[in-house]
Amino acid sequence: MAKVLEGPGMGLMKKWGINVPNYVVVTSVDELTKLGQANEWLKKSKLVAKAHEALGSRFKLGLVKVDLDFKAAEAATKEMIGRQVGSITVTQVIVSEMIPHKEEYYCAVKSTREGSEILVANCGGIEVESNWERVKRLCLEIGQSPSPESLEKLSKEAGFSGALAKKMAEFAGKMFACFDSEDAQYLEVNPVVLRAADDELVALDAVTLLDGDAKFRHPDWNFAFAAEFGRAYSKQELEVMAVDSKIKGSVKFIEIPGGDTAMLPAGGGASVYYSDAVVARGGKLANYAEYSGDPPDWAVEVLTEKVCSLPGIRNIIVGGAIANFTDVKKTFGGIINGFRKAKSEGKLKNVKIWVRRGGPREKEGLDAMRALKDEGFDINVFDRNTPLTDIVDKALQAK
Amino acid sequence: MSILANKDTRVVIQGGQAGVNAARRMAEFCYLIKRPLNVEAFVYPPDAGKTNEIPYGSGLIAIPVYKSIAEATKNHPTLNTSLVYIGADRAMKGGMEALDDSHIKVVSMITEGVPEKDAKILGAHARKLGKVFNGPSSIGIISAGACRLGVIGGAFDNLVLSKLYREGSFGVITKSGGLSNEIIWICSQFADGITTAIGIGGDAYPGTDYVSYLEMFENDPQTKAVVIVGEMGGDLEERAAEWYGAKKRRVKLIAVVSGFCQESLPKGMKFGHAGAKEGMKGEGSARSKSDALKKAGALVPPTFGALGPAIKETYEELLKSGQVKAPVEPAVLPRLPKTVEEAMKADEVMVAPLIRTTISDDRGDEPCYDGYPASELINKGYEIPHVIGLLWDKRLISKQEAEIIKRIMMLSADHGPCVSGAYATILAACAGIGLSQSVAAGMIMIGPRFGGAVTDAGRFFKYAVDNKMSVDEFLAYMKKNHGPVPGIGHRVKSLRNPDKRVKELVGYVKSLKIKTPCLDFALEVEKITSVKKDNLILNVDGTMAAVLVDIGFPVDSLNGFFILSRTIGLIGHWVDQKRQDSRLIRLFDYLVNYAAPKRREVPPLK
Repeated sequence: MAKVLEGPGMGLMKKWGINVPNYVVVTSVDELTKLGQANEWLKKSKLVAKAHEALGSRFKLGLVKVDLDFKAAEAATKEMIGRQVGSITVTQVIVSEMIPHKEEYYCAVKSTREGSEILVANCGGIEVESNWERVKRLCLEIGQSPSPESLEKLSKEAGFSGALAKKMAEFAGKMFACFDSEDAQYLEVNPVVLRAADDELVALDAVTLLDGDAKFRHPDWNFAFAAEFGRAYSKQELEVMAVDSKIKGSVKFIEIPGGDTAMLPAGGGASVYYSDAVVARGGKLANYAEYSGDPPDWAVEVLTEKVCSLPGIRNIIVGGAIANFTDVKKTFGGIINGFRKAKSEGKLKNVKIWVRRGGPREKEGLDAMRALKDEGFDINVFDRNTPLTDIVDKALQAK
Repeated sequence: MSILANKDTRVVIQGGQAGVNAARRMAEFCYLIKRPLNVEAFVYPPDAGKTNEIPYGSGLIAIPVYKSIAEATKNHPTLNTSLVYIGADRAMKGGMEALDDSHIKVVSMITEGVPEKDAKILGAHARKLGKVFNGPSSIGIISAGACRLGVIGGAFDNLVLSKLYREGSFGVITKSGGLSNEIIWICSQFADGITTAIGIGGDAYPGTDYVSYLEMFENDPQTKAVVIVGEMGGDLEERAAEWYGAKKRRVKLIAVVSGFCQESLPKGMKFGHAGAKEGMKGEGSARSKSDALKKAGALVPPTFGALGPAIKETYEELLKSGQVKAPVEPAVLPRLPKTVEEAMKADEVMVAPLIRTTISDDRGDEPCYDGYPASELINKGYEIPHVIGLLWDKRLISKQEAEIIKRIMMLSADHGPCVSGAYATILAACAGIGLSQSVAAGMIMIGPRFGGAVTDAGRFFKYAVDNKMSVDEFLAYMKKNHGPVPGIGHRVKSLRNPDKRVKELVGYVKSLKIKTPCLDFALEVEKITSVKKDNLILNVDGTMAAVLVDIGFPVDSLNGFFILSRTIGLIGHWVDQKRQDSRLIRLFDYLVNYAAPKRREVPPLK
């Protein structure tokens, strides 16, 4: 799932005929000033300026400013750009025109197992959260498109009537077209507003989640996907992602500041059970990591270096189930190289390493790990006869 | 009994190398259970018409590759299952092609990173046709003792350790590929093993869900309990709970769900598989799934570690109630033949070597010449002549000897385009022949009349010196037994027009104050022969030969010095012609003396 920021999200909606306010995304005040000379609306309309970053609660942080004239928008842009919020530095600001309106509504399309669901409500903004029962749904099977009649029925069920019911039905139809054609997983417009000037429905704010796996058939997705958990990716995380994109198989790495138990397990499934075991034992995770699909040893080595560099760690969990085709000796070779490098750089002092694994060439791999004891590593190695997550129990009991 | 994959399953694999690797794993399993290979065909248009060789036991089976599913099922009408190993951007097309073929009843997709929409379309299409679409991102399906689809089950040793050669009583459904193997292993250690294990894939919307497979297991009398390994995200586990709780079920359900760690992590942080994501409102969390399954009556151990004991507990109940009997293990199991390398490593076989070498070894990280690593030779200042010394005579020659060899090579590298070797190479180059063949054409010319006299010259001068012959005795001996003396005589050079190369080489060697008995003898021979005839002088071949024998090179290696040096020139001539884009050479008629009979009538055939 790939989150898309407002600017490109609005761009996709506009492509499918949905009315969106005029907007520009800028990286400096100078850029906005120049755009002001070229675009009449920036000078004429009241404006909204928002930090264009994957940040939650921007309003509270003062990163959304409304009802601005152009001068005030310039001032707001100047103030926002370069601001540091946690790990994120604001580098872009989206300035859009304010749409004078009376009514606010809600429309979304989401992915379901059978296909998708169109959601419509005749209230919007924060009101929809507290009145969730007013949201009406139209379920669609995969491959099925909503008929104009079914959309109008949905619109009427949600409490729209007359010409507005027809307009809302059309709006929802366009939302579905955008969702279906752009391989979206979630599209939400809250609020949809009735523009005072011409009584047309306009999308004021958009949440857009796309299916990153479908990128190959969308050459116009020329925007970067945003980090999904309200912070920017760290340098280390980006380096692992760069490796991941180059190799057969995969390596994953996410930092969790403040933890003391470092994770270096194999497998998308087993890695989560290992994380669960740490939490269940009252441990604090320092990261999430995972390698799978028989990745090359050098990629596992890079991942190992990142794990060993996590600050304040006491244990490293090198866990894994019984592999189907990942070569244990080869991937462990990468981990061992990473450990040696870390040790030569003065890392891994007072860090205990716990290993459990099975799979092709498990004996050779485990023997190589055991041999690290002779090099002065504090390492405990277990084979398939020790249940999967028991090394976590042992690690967190050991003092 | 089993579900989905059984003894009648006949497989076509769609895809290239990944599919071939899977077929190898499948062949190992077929070999273990003593059944013929269940893969009958591949579909991979780039290789259509070829075959893929799959090892089975100690032999190889050739499996044909077709360009389409239709072509494969036409030639193999018993095919009923397809495994898809095609890249994510083309996977849907391949999956559809398989589903739409009337022979194919089960399609299992291994491809990862397939767009969600494509997976939904494939799943819906299969349901409409009453077929099974498993995956994407599935590690495969395995029925103990009957059938393996994909690499699920891992290496051969693991198949044996996990007792996959015979049926047990536990069904397994997992999203994770790695954990499927772990559960199969646990079932074999804490109970009697599995019936069928299915990897449904870790995507958000797998083609077939837990419920469909639970229904199948419920209808399979051999399966007494099912183990589900779930994870946060989606609602498949909740649906399974709903199914289990809806009415009294014959199979027992044991389940674990991962993702509890999410409760104490920053919200929205995504782990693991693509489908492992909590909903906007907390639905699909590990806790809600776990609670739903418990409420429906499933056995839900608190952690993954407690899963083994839970399976054991269930198995003991089944034993006690007489629903299952303790399995009888076969006395002997087939062992996978080892490769020769593996067997040698384990000291199990001895192989008589085919060849023996005493000069070089390239098995390490760099070549060693007579034991010396190439890089070390370079770093310590050794040069090409030293490598020649090591490889031709197995010794580290001195600086002085190296200098002699270098000079010999520089003098012999090329003697213009008119000599036989260069001319042959040029002729070939002009005919558009490649470098190695053109150089070889030049090489072929090296023999008794051109450049190939060095070895013989060295041999006879050495014979004379070793037998302390006088020049007269030597010339008489040669006349009687061999004819003209090799290394003596030149087509154009003579006493009055001496060969500067010879003078140069002799002068240098004589200045070194080393013992040169052969060279001295050869010069004595020249004194006599050149008196008899002006051009019977010591030529460059003879000089090289005498000097090289004097510095200790074996007689048999001597022509090598000429061949090696002249190769430099031959390569130069080929590149030169290529650079000029020379045209084909044809001999002019006026350069031929036509001495054949004049044109005449052919008499009637008798």
